[in-house]
Amino acid sequence: MSGAQFVTPPNRLAEIMRKPGGIVVADAISRAERNLEAIRPACRADMMGLLDTCEAALKAMGEAYDEAAVTTLYATAVRGIGAGAVCGAPTVDLALTSLCDLITHLLARGQHDRKALEVHIQAWRLLMTTELPEAARETMLEGLRRVSAHHAPQG
Amino acid sequence: MASGPISRDRINLDGASILLLDDTPMGMSILVQIVTGLGAKILHRCATLEEAQKATESCVLDLAIVDAMPPSGAGYEFVRWLRTTATEPNRYAPVLLTTGHTPARDVFRARDVGSTLIIRKPIVPTVVVERIFRATAEGRQFVMSDSYSGPDRRHRDLGPPNGVGRRYTDGDSFELAITDRPVAG
Repeated sequence: MSGAQFVTPPNRLAEIMRKPGGIVVADAISRAERNLEAIRPACRADMMGLLDTCEAALKAMGEAYDEAAVTTLYATAVRGIGAGAVCGAPTVDLALTSLCDLITHLLARGQHDRKALEVHIQAWRLLMTTELPEAARETMLEGLRRVSAHHAPQG
Repeated sequence: MASGPISRDRINLDGASILLLDDTPMGMSILVQIVTGLGAKILHRCATLEEAQKATESCVLDLAIVDAMPPSGAGYEFVRWLRTTATEPNRYAPVLLTTGHTPARDVFRARDVGSTLIIRKPIVPTVVVERIFRATAEGRQFVMSDSYSGPDRRHRDLGPPNGVGRRYTDGDSFELAITDRPVAG
């Protein structure tokens, strides 16, 4: 192919959306939110399963840098991001994002920091299982972000 | 957000054929609950790249909602395959790419494989609606070249005018967009 070709294909979805019928947006959103509430218990059970898996992975991890083990931990933790909100624990999503940031930094630098991983996973369990005041949750998240940022590449 | 819906607009996904790709049962369940709540009925649920390719080859798609699926990145691979290998009209289907953890390089990757728009998790219904309206309202051309196939990347959302305030998160932004504001004209 030499050069770039520009085409304007028909927007099939737009054509469908223009057809008569459908649902008022506000009602559609309410229905979707109700659907999400209905799966909250199952979602929570799945999240606790992911948490158990991460705790076990951390327990099995040695004291030296182990790329494969940390990558596996990342693969498990990243699956939970987004489910915290559905479970009714939206701060868990932020804790998991901080954990994934941390793992990304550790992998980029080939470093290991077991304590930093541990504190994130402990926070995950606490945020899932304990009714903490908002200020305490914020303090905890800020602490996690600081731990992750500590390992961020400089400059 | 010029093209955002307002709460009394209608969303009609009744006849839309929608592919969902997510390798986790929990992620798939969340997507299904949202799109069925929004009125979608024809869903192609896929857990792997291969399943998604097979579904794409056997039916016409009007929308794809694809998880990036880190760390393998199979979601990105599917979008690249869709844009370069799938036949028409599916190669032009709008793709909403969902991501949980999104380092900057992954945002560029999502764009460069040909995603239409990105949704950062947690996925909330308001944001999905807003993205669907944007995907249907935009008149973006498709570009096909040796190095890129997908929606024209040269577009820019200039955001709200000065003094209106800047959105902080996707969820917050939609709270503004969905109010029953008067329609001009």
